[in-house]
Amino acid sequence: MSAYPTVKTIDEFKQQPVEYQNAVRKIVRSHALNELYGAQVFDEPAIQLAPTPYAKWLSCRVAMEEYHHHVRFKELADQIGVQAGEMDTRNKRPLNIFEMPLESWEQFCVIKMLGDLAEILQVEDLLHCSFVPLRNIARTTMPEEKFHAQFGLDFCVDLVETDAGREKVQRAVNGFYPEAPKFFGASGSKNNELYRKYGIKLRSNEDMRADYMARAKSTVEPLGITLPGVSFDA
Amino acid sequence: MSPALDEAWFSALGAPLGEAERLEVAAYLEGLGLEPALPVHMAGSWSEAAELCRQSADAWWQAEEAERVRLEPRARLDPSDQDWLRLTERLHGAAAIAAAHAGCSDAALIRVAAGAATYAAYQQRLAQAAGAPPAHPFLRKYALYCGGRWPLGIYDQRFAIF
Repeated sequence: MSAYPTVKTIDEFKQQPVEYQNAVRKIVRSHALNELYGAQVFDEPAIQLAPTPYAKWLSCRVAMEEYHHHVRFKELADQIGVQAGEMDTRNKRPLNIFEMPLESWEQFCVIKMLGDLAEILQVEDLLHCSFVPLRNIARTTMPEEKFHAQFGLDFCVDLVETDAGREKVQRAVNGFYPEAPKFFGASGSKNNELYRKYGIKLRSNEDMRADYMARAKSTVEPLGITLPGVSFDA
Repeated sequence: MSPALDEAWFSALGAPLGEAERLEVAAYLEGLGLEPALPVHMAGSWSEAAELCRQSADAWWQAEEAERVRLEPRARLDPSDQDWLRLTERLHGAAAIAAAHAGCSDAALIRVAAGAATYAAYQQRLAQAAGAPPAHPFLRKYALYCGGRWPLGIYDQRFAIF
């Protein structure tokens, strides 16, 4: 639990040190952008790649949930003084993870299974955030993030029932996973140090990345899928 | 409040299909260039609806998609729009309530129903924004949703509806 006193309102936020305010802005902006990128480059295009109306409509609903997450973070970002242009995907370069072109349904299922697992860890770390409005958004979005990861896992379970399907899932994992640990930022990050100093986040990037890699491994192993090596300072 | 929020979403699932609804289905199919005299199959339960839409329905889906692609250059909608998000939440809530009344607690299937209605609402807004006439097939399908139905698509040469 954070040693930093809780900041319950926007007014209280404005009375915090500039360093605190900037740290919170950075995190909120990052979440607003990532949710929007995810919806635009993965979830919405997946509707066309899905094999049946069931999968298409489920993807459509998931896309709307991701857009809604973006809006929740963006509303908070507006309240705490993040400039609108900083949350426009046309102005900000995305994380590497979002630059991978979505080409197949199998790839999308893997992204939900492993990409949303990364998002779950990020949101989990905000559940006890010293800034209560951000904590509240984390608590609201968490059940949906968990559903999205389960959605990916459930479809992957179906896909690996055949050799051809398992091969496609493995190929998608090989393409996606090596970039995924970078989602947690660099080791020894000064930003992360600030986040922990102010009780905005609880864990170091290294700790979260190691946890993610362990959870990703335990997620895919029962499917007969292996994780490729990653060239990162984990 | 948007009138769409007050519609009877998912309130007539499984009820016998009326003559007006049958005519709406035929006109919808004809508008998409599909066979208007296709037999109509009534799904009787949430599990049957799920079973049906887990099958491929490419010919029907592609007929709709061709029309969506034709309309989209004339009207692109913002998926982050507040009114739109409010409607999608309403659709999810209505699907959850209808499912609960029928003893269905399948969170994924409830999202499938909500997603289907969301996609239909998107198509309806697209058609309206592009200035399509009232008889446009997307508006006809949307009318079926507004009347509490869930049109499921064409499977085995039958148009299925819940």
